Order: sequence, then structure tokens, then C-alpha cells
Amino acid sequence: MKDVITLLKPRFLSFKNKGLLKNNSGRGYKLALFGFFGILFWGGIFIVSFRVISYFKGIEGFGDILAYKLLSMILLTFFSLLIFSNILTSLSKLYLSRDLSLLNSMPVPIYKIFIARWIESTVDSSWMVIVYTIPVFISYGIVYRAGFIFYGNMFLVILILSVISAGISVVLIMIVVNFVPANRIKNIFIFIGLSFFLILFFAFRFLRPERLVDPEVFSNVLFYLKSLKSPAPLYLPSTWVFDSMKATLSGHIMEGMFHSVLSLSWAGVMVCSAIIISNYYYFNGVSKTQTAQVRLFKYSYSGRRFPIFLPRFCRALMSKEIRTFFRDQTQWSQLFLIAALVVIYVYNFNALPLEKAPIKTIYLQNLLSFLNIGLAGFVLITITARFAYPAVSSEKDAFWLVKSAPIDLKHYLWIKFFVYFLPLFVLTEILIIATNILLKVTFFMMVLSVVDIFLLVPGVVSMGIGFGAAYPDFKSENPAQTVTSFGGLMFMMVCAVYVGAVIIIEAEPVYRLFMANIKGNVLTVFEWVWVLGSFTLVFSLSIAAVMVPMKFGEKRLLKMLI
Amino acid sequence: MIELINLTKKYNDFTAVNNLNLVVEKGEIFGFIGPNGAGKTTTINMMGGVLAPTSGFVMICGINIQNHPKKAKSKIGYIPDRPYLYEKLTGMEFLKFISDLYGVDENNFLYRSREKLRLFSLSEWADDLIESYSHGMKQRLIMAAALLHDPEVIIVDEPMVGLDPLVINMVKSLFKQLAKNGVTIFMSTHTLKVAEDICDRIGIIHKGSLVATGTAEDLKSNIQNKSADLEEIFIKLTEE
Repeated sequence: MKDVITLLKPRFLSFKNKGLLKNNSGRGYKLALFGFFGILFWGGIFIVSFRVISYFKGIEGFGDILAYKLLSMILLTFFSLLIFSNILTSLSKLYLSRDLSLLNSMPVPIYKIFIARWIESTVDSSWMVIVYTIPVFISYGIVYRAGFIFYGNMFLVILILSVISAGISVVLIMIVVNFVPANRIKNIFIFIGLSFFLILFFAFRFLRPERLVDPEVFSNVLFYLKSLKSPAPLYLPSTWVFDSMKATLSGHIMEGMFHSVLSLSWAGVMVCSAIIISNYYYFNGVSKTQTAQVRLFKYSYSGRRFPIFLPRFCRALMSKEIRTFFRDQTQWSQLFLIAALVVIYVYNFNALPLEKAPIKTIYLQNLLSFLNIGLAGFVLITITARFAYPAVSSEKDAFWLVKSAPIDLKHYLWIKFFVYFLPLFVLTEILIIATNILLKVTFFMMVLSVVDIFLLVPGVVSMGIGFGAAYPDFKSENPAQTVTSFGGLMFMMVCAVYVGAVIIIEAEPVYRLFMANIKGNVLTVFEWVWVLGSFTLVFSLSIAAVMVPMKFGEKRLLKMLI
Repeated sequence: MIELINLTKKYNDFTAVNNLNLVVEKGEIFGFIGPNGAGKTTTINMMGGVLAPTSGFVMICGINIQNHPKKAKSKIGYIPDRPYLYEKLTGMEFLKFISDLYGVDENNFLYRSREKLRLFSLSEWADDLIESYSHGMKQRLIMAAALLHDPEVIIVDEPMVGLDPLVINMVKSLFKQLAKNGVTIFMSTHTLKVAEDICDRIGIIHKGSLVATGTAEDLKSNIQNKSADLEEIFIKLTEE
């Protein structure tokens, strides 16, 4: 055990020593900001789950059945998430970490290295899932007026389920890594996991859950759910945890304890099995992972020039950016996810029951179209955060090549800007035009939406590149995660304020123009001044949104030590 | 030609390089040695334009690198101590990338890149992704890339780390040949034997300051021991 603790110490010490860094004055502020958003999100989950469970329980006749059905589904989802998260984290921690060569050279038995790494991996992959599902279970306790034993048991069974998930995942990985290289499994698994999620998401969306607001449809659904009395599969650990929680919720303490102990014993079996298997298979898998990946499609250098009309340094940086982007398999799944997001987004507008609304359809269509500019803006922010914001950090340690090359950082950043601006511009315009066609908006609203997006996209992309350059993390193993840093948060907040400001500035003038257009009225001189003033303000704001962040990023990047 | 004029770099209260003054003539190979943390890599990074000095200047072929970075950098072949590259490019694509940034004649690119790849024994790996290269292969690729645009000045940090004896020998001969052709080479190294073998002059840096410069003979007379080798001189001049 002493060796395992020693192996875990670097992790504790690196965390502790973060506070010792010089120039770390903003750390407290960052922690407070992240803490605030974390607590806000936690509180949101608690309020929503409390209301849903209270509502379900209150349905006469089969409230309990529905509430327990929901609990069973939540636990199954919780278990699946833990398995998915554990597989990805254990692949990284146990097979792909940079310090594994150092660890394996140490005079420590391999199973102890495995245990230390596995503990780290389990904690890393489970803590967030646990923290953000606890408010749901607490809501159950409050709604069902459960005693203290429920809460104590709840924490115990959640931890047990985490250990079981970690055990199942790691045993699976240890076997598979012997046949397929770890990095390839990771990519394949992300792809499969994402596809599975999207299929479920599409299935759910195309079922049109909004129809449940219709009392007739809802009563049919309730009747169907009531008929679903078949128990959850007995072989699933989430079912044992469900049985334990259900028993303690309804006051059957002994029965609850029985199921908890049953789960605990299986967790023990998983831990022992994983350690025994690691002694035979873990090192072999690590060795296999050390060998270089074979390139699937190899071709000779063609000398093809891309794109020929640009200056040479632009061509060099653009082709490098595009090649490295598409050859990184982790980006593929993200592109896949965006395609799904676009389909769902457009479908949502197609499924809107506008004819049932109490407001006149033409007003509602155009109001939605106007609000849709803001909504598309937020979709744009999300995609920019995922792709454009990490663009500078994705240079990683090779950034010295840019700094030592005879090019200006200003040009380098503007090339990054255009690489991401073009696809994001096309994507957002497609979103806005397609949804406007579905909404059958007026010509005026169509033009306004297209022009607004034309102004918003450069601003948001510029903020992505600019803030990404101002707060880069060249040491990050996964640059996409840099958006969760202080700079990423700043980027998202400033972008949200920018998009919101554009919508607010335009709201009243657009309303007046629209009404004048519909009713055939003529605007007064004052109204014209207001309209022109607002659009000039939006235009100026958009120009500033493009120029200022790029300059800010360039200045900070220039001073950066690498 | 390289000139360092009152070059200073401070990180908060810590002075990494302190008022360095040095001239390396055209066609000269200058060896820069010193203990760990003496300020060698910081100096080299400032010379390569990767790091801005706190005060002082770096002149490359008479051009101030702070005032005219593009012009000065186009004359440099910069080779850092750690071979970090774009892992998702192939060796050949990386050379093309560098040749486009440095403006190597496009019509000659294929010939020149193949010649460099052959020189550093990388021809058969040219179309493989850099992520599959070993440390030594990456180091060789960086050297090939640094020589692609015929630099007038080569700034190299620990050139022999990760290279096998055959390549070390080849690099030594290559540097001597380049210097003969008028290329100025500034080289930091811990391998004192290499410094002794190929450098015209050697500078010893300690705690950010240049404590001695000159030929190996000059340094020997500096410590008043004609029979001392470079290792003894180094220890004598840098001991606490």
C-alpha cells in the first residue's frame, strides 16, 4: 500500500504546488468564478429534478410507479455514463500518459502501478458524474421524506456503483488493448459512443416530446408507462443500486441494506479481478501501446499547391492547419456531432406547432425569426468555442516554429481567423436561411437575418481566435479542453454579451420597421433616425468585435514565454 | 555575423541573462557552454527571435531582430534543443511548410528537400507522419528544415542530443563545411568534446554572464594552466 500511496503523491503534490506558482494572483478569482458557475448548475439540476419528481409523485394512482421508473432510468443512465467515462479515462491514464515510461522503469510491481493509476482514473472519471447526479437523488429523498439512512446509503451505493463501473471498464480495456492499439480504441470508442448517443437523441427528438403538453396524448403515455411493470434487468449493477435506493426510500431499511451489501460484494469481486488480471495483461498492453501507429492511408508527396492565389506563407499555414485538423481523428466525431446538431436545430423549427398558438401566425413567425438570430449566434459561439478557440493552443509545443519563422504574428492570427471564419460563416448562414424558409418569414426578416449573421460571425470567430491567442495552453494534451479555462470562460461571456447586445439594440427598430411594412405605414423622421442609429451602432460594434480581440490576442501572444 | 549588445533577460526578479556583449564573425563557429540554468537556452531563444529581451539588442547580419524580425529571421536556421514538430504532417509536408515560410525557390524545392532528407538519412521516412518518428529522427528533420533555405546564420541549441555517432560525425563535418562557405554558427552544447573539435571560439556563460571567451588556447591561459583540457577549464571557471 505504501508504494501505491507514493505513486499517487505526484498528483497530490502537483495540485498542492499550483498555489506556489509565481504570477498566480488570479487563481482565487478563477476558482471563485468556476465555483459560482458550478454551484449555479448544481442548483439548477436540483430545482428541475425536485419539480419533476414532485410532479410525478403527485399524479394520482400511479405517481410512485412513474417516479421509480424515472429513478431506474436515471441510475441506468448514470451507470452507462460512468462506464463510458471510465473507458476513456482509463485508456488515457493507464496506457497513453506521457509519464508511463518513467513509472514502468521503477522497481515497483506492475500491479501496484496499475492500482495507483486505476485509482486516479476512477476518481477523475467519476467525480463530476457523481457531483451532478447527487442533487437528483437528494430530491428523491426530500420528495419521499426519507430518513437519514437513505442519504447515507445513497452516498455508499453511488460510490459502489462507481467502483463497479471502473472495474468493468478497466477489465474490458486490459483485454482489448492486447488486440487493438490504445489510441485507436479511444477514437473508435468515442465514435461509437457518440453515434449511440445521437441515435438515442434523434429517436427522442423525432418522437416529438412536446406533444406531451397535449392532455389527450399525455394520458395515453401515462397509461402506457403504467403498463410497463416489467422489472429492470437483474444482472445490471444499476438495478441492485435501484433496489437498495427504492427500499430505503420506502422505509424498508433491512431490504435496502441487503441490496447495498450485495453491490458492495460485487465491487470487491471487480477490484480483486482487475488487480489479478493486471498482473498478467497490463504491462503487455502498455508495451504494445508504445509502438508507433501504422498509417492507414500512405501516399507520396504530390507537390500540389493549395490554394494557389494566396501568398506562400498563407498557403503554408492554411494547408498545415487544414491537414493537421482533418488528420486528428478526435475532430471527426466532433464534426459528426455538429452535423447532428444542425439537423436537430432545423427539425425543431419544422416541428413548431405555430398554427395552434394564440398569436397571429405572421407575427409569431417573424418574432421567432428575429429571436432565431440570437439563437443561431449562440450555436455559433458553441462551435467557435470547440474549434476556433483552441486553434492557437493546438500548436502545442511546436509553436516555436511560428515564433522563429519570418512571419508576423498578426498575419498568423488572421490566417487562423479565415480558416475558421469561412466554414462557420457558411454553416451559420445555412442554419438561419433554412430555418427562415421553414418559418416562411417576410423578405425583410430574411435579409435582416442574413445581414446580422454576416456581421456576427466575424466578431465571434475573431473573439475565439483572439481570446485563444491571449490565453493559450501549449502544454495541454487535449487543446479542445482549453475552452474550460479562464480564457475560454471569458470568451463565452464576452460573446454572449456581444450577441445579446446586437439583438437588444435592433429589437425596437426592427419591430417598427416590420410593423410599418405589414401595415403599410410610413416611419416618422425620429423613427428613421433611430433605425439608422441602431444599425450604425450594431455595425460599429461588429467592427470593434473583429478588430479588438485580434489585437488583444496578438499583443498577449507576442509577450508570451514559450 | 551575430552581435549581442548589452543583452539582458529578466524573469520577474531573476536575471537569466545579464548584459551579454559578444560578436561572432562571418564564417565562425562559436561554442556556447555553461552549467545547467546558466542562461544558454534563453540567449539562444532571444537570438532566434522566439523570446524578446528585457533590454539590449540582437543583430543578425547587421539587422536588429527586434526592429526587423521578418528580415532577420529569414537569415537564420534555428534548431532548438527539443524537437517539437507538427506531428500530423509527413516529413516532406513539413519541409514544404518550412520552405513556404522561408521563401525557398519553389522550382527547386523537390530537389533541395530530397537532398536534405538524403543527407540526414530520412528519405525512406519522407511520407510518414512525424508522430511515428523517433526522437533522433525528429532532431534530424529539424536540422534538414533549418538548412533548407541556405541560412547565413545557424543558431543551434544542443545539436547532438539524440543523434547516433554516425550522424554526429556527419553534422560536425557539415558545420565545418558550412562555416568554410561563410555561414556563421552559434552553438550551445554540453558536449565539451564537440565544442573543442569544431568551434573556432568558445564562450563560457555562468549565472547569466559571460565569464570567458576565446579560443581553447586563450581559455587555458585564462586559468594559467597550459595543459588543462576544456573540461578542466569549464569546471575551474564555473565552480562555486
